Amino acid sequence: MPLWLEMAVSVLLTYGIGFGIGWLLWNRKG
Amino acid sequence: MKTRNALIAAAGAALSLALATAGTARNGPRFVAGLEARAAAARDQAGGQGVAIAFRDRYGWLTRHPILSGGDGLDAATRTRTAAAIATVPGIGGIRWVNDGQGGPRVLHCQDDVERILETRTIRFSEASARIDPASDRLLDEVTRSLRPCVGSIIAVTGHTDDSGDPAVNLALSQGRAEAVRWALIARGLPADGLRTAGLGSTKPIAGLDPHDPANRRIEFSVIQSAPVKPTPIDTPGAE
Repeated sequence: MPLWLEMAVSVLLTYGIGFGIGWLLWNRKG
Repeated sequence: MKTRNALIAAAGAALSLALATAGTARNGPRFVAGLEARAAAARDQAGGQGVAIAFRDRYGWLTRHPILSGGDGLDAATRTRTAAAIATVPGIGGIRWVNDGQGGPRVLHCQDDVERILETRTIRFSEASARIDPASDRLLDEVTRSLRPCVGSIIAVTGHTDDSGDPAVNLALSQGRAEAVRWALIARGLPADGLRTAGLGSTKPIAGLDPHDPANRRIEFSVIQSAPVKPTPIDTPGAE
């Protein structure tokens, strides 16, 4: 696996998880 | 409004991707040069002079999964030791031997190594349980180290018991113990997807040994299939 792909996958994964958590917190009721 | 949010998310993803690519372009060569130096030092220390370590994959991209080649004058044990030494360099994510374009794929000798380790010592478990005795930790470290060069192959972990007690219980116990060993290897950094387990209970005692003999309680490792780097047609004259 080339280095750039490993980097891209890990950064995108981090972004996705951060985005997901942020989304859940932002849309929390109450 | 929904489209706008989606656009912002997509822009963020694109920005992350650009950041990752730019970061790799900027720091990748220096990072790989560092790995290269440490891998070469590990190789020389293991006595593997003559082995070439290539940090580029077959498309020419930089990678931290080096491909080893050469070192034909070295004996199998030195080759294995060299590969293991390089594989344990922090930052390196698994190694492969290149099939030099002639003959069959390089045979890795991890299975022999593991068998040699387990010849005199055994992985111990708590009585009638699949819990690995902490005294076997160091042995498992050694087993992991010798299996590491075969990462990419299917490694089968098979549990056996002697034939005292209920066969169904023995079968479950041998499966549980093989499973416990698999998890111990995963915990030590071997990739989970190449590790398979089977429990055979007391159905396969050691040849020439009484099925009652406690020496039949054991864990066996077999390296089923190795996955060599497929040579491109250019590497193998005559290939279609």
